[in-house]
Amino acid sequence: MKSAFAAITVLACLTAGSLAQSTLPSPVNQMQPRSSPEALLALPDTAFRARVDRPVTRDMYAQGRLVAMGGTPGGAAIACVSCHRLTGEGDSAGVFPRISEFPAWYLYKQLGDYASGSRPNAIMTPIAQRLSAQQREAVSAYYALTPSEVDSRRNREIDEPLIQWGAKLSAIGSAERGIPACVNCHGPDGEGLPPSVPNLAGQHSTYIVSQLRAWKIDERRNDPMGVMKAIADKMESRDMEAVGEYFSRLQANQKPSPNRDRAWLR
Amino acid sequence: MAIRLPRTEVLIVGAGWTGLTAAYELANAGRKCVVLERGGFRHEVPDLQSPEMHDELKYGQRYKLMMDTQRNTLSFRNNTSETALPMRRLGSFLPGEGLGGAGVHWNGQLWRPLPSDLRIRSHYTERYGAASIPPDLTIQDWGVSYDELEPHFDFFEKICGTGGKVGNLRGKKTPGGNPFEGPRSNPYPNPPMKQTLSMKLFEDAARKEGFNPFPMPSANVTQRYVNPYGAVLHPCTYCGYCERFGCGYFAKADPIICVYDWIKDNPNFELRTNATVMRVNKAPDGKSATGVTYVGKDGRSYEQPADMVLLCAYGLWNVHLMLLSQIGEPYNSETGTGTVGRNYAYQTLSSNRVFFNGRHKFNPFMGAGALGTVCDDMNGDNFDHSGLGFVGGGYISVTQTNGRPIENMPIPAKTKTWGAEFKTAARQNYNSTLSVSLHGSSMTTRGNYLDLDPTYTDDLGRPLLRMTFDFPENDKAMSKHCTAQARRIAEAMDGDLVESAERATSHYSVVPYQTTHNTGGAIMGIDPTTSAVNRYCQAWGQHNVFVFGACLFPQNIGYNPTGTVMGLAYWTINAIKNDYLGSPRPLMGGAR
Repeated sequence: MKSAFAAITVLACLTAGSLAQSTLPSPVNQMQPRSSPEALLALPDTAFRARVDRPVTRDMYAQGRLVAMGGTPGGAAIACVSCHRLTGEGDSAGVFPRISEFPAWYLYKQLGDYASGSRPNAIMTPIAQRLSAQQREAVSAYYALTPSEVDSRRNREIDEPLIQWGAKLSAIGSAERGIPACVNCHGPDGEGLPPSVPNLAGQHSTYIVSQLRAWKIDERRNDPMGVMKAIADKMESRDMEAVGEYFSRLQANQKPSPNRDRAWLR
Repeated sequence: MAIRLPRTEVLIVGAGWTGLTAAYELANAGRKCVVLERGGFRHEVPDLQSPEMHDELKYGQRYKLMMDTQRNTLSFRNNTSETALPMRRLGSFLPGEGLGGAGVHWNGQLWRPLPSDLRIRSHYTERYGAASIPPDLTIQDWGVSYDELEPHFDFFEKICGTGGKVGNLRGKKTPGGNPFEGPRSNPYPNPPMKQTLSMKLFEDAARKEGFNPFPMPSANVTQRYVNPYGAVLHPCTYCGYCERFGCGYFAKADPIICVYDWIKDNPNFELRTNATVMRVNKAPDGKSATGVTYVGKDGRSYEQPADMVLLCAYGLWNVHLMLLSQIGEPYNSETGTGTVGRNYAYQTLSSNRVFFNGRHKFNPFMGAGALGTVCDDMNGDNFDHSGLGFVGGGYISVTQTNGRPIENMPIPAKTKTWGAEFKTAARQNYNSTLSVSLHGSSMTTRGNYLDLDPTYTDDLGRPLLRMTFDFPENDKAMSKHCTAQARRIAEAMDGDLVESAERATSHYSVVPYQTTHNTGGAIMGIDPTTSAVNRYCQAWGQHNVFVFGACLFPQNIGYNPTGTVMGLAYWTINAIKNDYLGSPRPLMGGAR
């Protein structure tokens, strides 16, 4: 582990500035420019979030970006970017989820589950089936390292009691229904818990509701040990909409922090 | 002057596993039940949810779910030549406080006793002769048999949604389970937990050495499950926060979600929290209880009259209440007479740490309280005790319960515990060290007992309970023999270093954490001169007082106590419902 981090750090130093600014994701916040993928990979937390089974290299990142754009030999049937966008923010008009800064291992597992049919989906199954294991790993790493902004200018009506209820389910769950809090597993403010638990913060409400319904009616069966099935079974439509509305309004930033470097342990 | 309250039919002291279960069963049988709990109300939602609950410092080190020793504790000494001093901080054991009791912060390791455990003196006498039992031991039969308790063990395993592999189904041995266990009427309701790399290494080494490994029975639920009372339990996520913590995932069976939620709306049920019972009140003739006196949330004294009183506090505090209330005759260690406080026992633990020096990645942070692989070959009388000079034994296991950084930072004993050397060793060993542990029985002697402290009092002015305990020679011999067997498995695992550590080599200390398995003090039996309660756990002298908990154990078995405690609880509840209530009387004749 240590040598891998060191190698990435060296790589980051050697290649600093060699990736043209235009090839990088555009900074989402002008006050605090986002770091380059190499800089992100030098942080243990982010490097862990981005890896499937081995450290992410510059080549892997580049290949992932290519896969996302549909530019692979044979090509994905549809490029990821056509629905999930280049920065992975997805599209709330449909049920195309936000996948930016998701744990790579989670994304990689979903692609495998789409391909095998344990998470059947008319659009994603054929796409995933065309990707090799290596391509799935690369595109997962790409999106894990790609931030995007939650559109805070959404012009949606706010149903205050509904959001309050969603916030309560998120933070403490429901004693009456026997529902545990979402943040138990999905992390404080729904920031995700790599490698296996996806982010909820900033996720589109339509997507969250559709997945909870899919678990409830046994359409989606790929959650480890049936944890989400057990929870979704206890949720009514209004509960699902409430957590969807709540999480869709949270910012999804995993802010890289120098304090997370484990320098004190060395 | 205590405020006198309207009469209730059943008064229950303590709202843990036994108290809430008794309330559930008796309220559903049409009896008005009042449950008094000295701690506060708490519930999975919102009190046990993480990330708040995953605060190791607050809950794992500062014991926020446990009893407050500033208000009530016990005093301790190793033997009668010492003066006992109050235990001012929790250490060796961690009794709970609040709704759910210690059932909230347990690990979920759910065992039954061996059939021979329950008739230990008869069994050893028959197999090896009476002389095989060391003369200083006061061990005795329980007065109840495995077959009588089996339906109740079975039912409680269903209440918890227990996961495991059956080894003996109605007398037929089944592969993959515990070959030594008593016959089960049913398989476990759920499959066992997943196996970790550490457990697999142990399993392979144990087989190589001729042992019989099997998955530990677990109340960390392994799939969505509905228990007989209606609770929907969720699959465990292996978060590594079981013991000392509450489970926010609805995945570790506890008395709140498994029992309380399904009785709380019954009009026959009433829970009063922050209510500390001062004493059980007796009728003028002393032959029955009339209710209890307690101090309520408002600091005032209340008298709660009741037709019957069930003592369902933690085992030690049941004994305390009996001594304070003069329910039964206090034990006298000089003469060996009296019964209340007699035969206190504990648990005899040891470990063999195996260091792999970075060669494996065990990922201990993915853990669960009852995630483990076990060999029962060295437990109870599962092995030949001829010529060994001791009775009892224990199970050998590798568990992966947690990777919490304060509690679980394994380094070799010779390493400095600070500075650069510590940091290097911690980094090297954190993810590649396991422990082959022995969970051993504890036998009783005349000198190990509980009584009232002559000097120290609690916040309400009552004498503290005084514990006098040291490891008996029998248990030291057992520990030495069985730890060596466990070490054989540890050494067959191809580690770089094996370090053994036994608790029972010299004196028992109340300071370092060992286990919360305190037993005895109000033991059950069929002879009123050697037991505090009869085989139905009914006080010999006061027929409307029934006692629950591990205080009933005449000596401690090599297993975790909760399964046995709850088997006995349902056994007692069954006797109350089907026999006692129709005709209240001493079920085995009165005190002689």
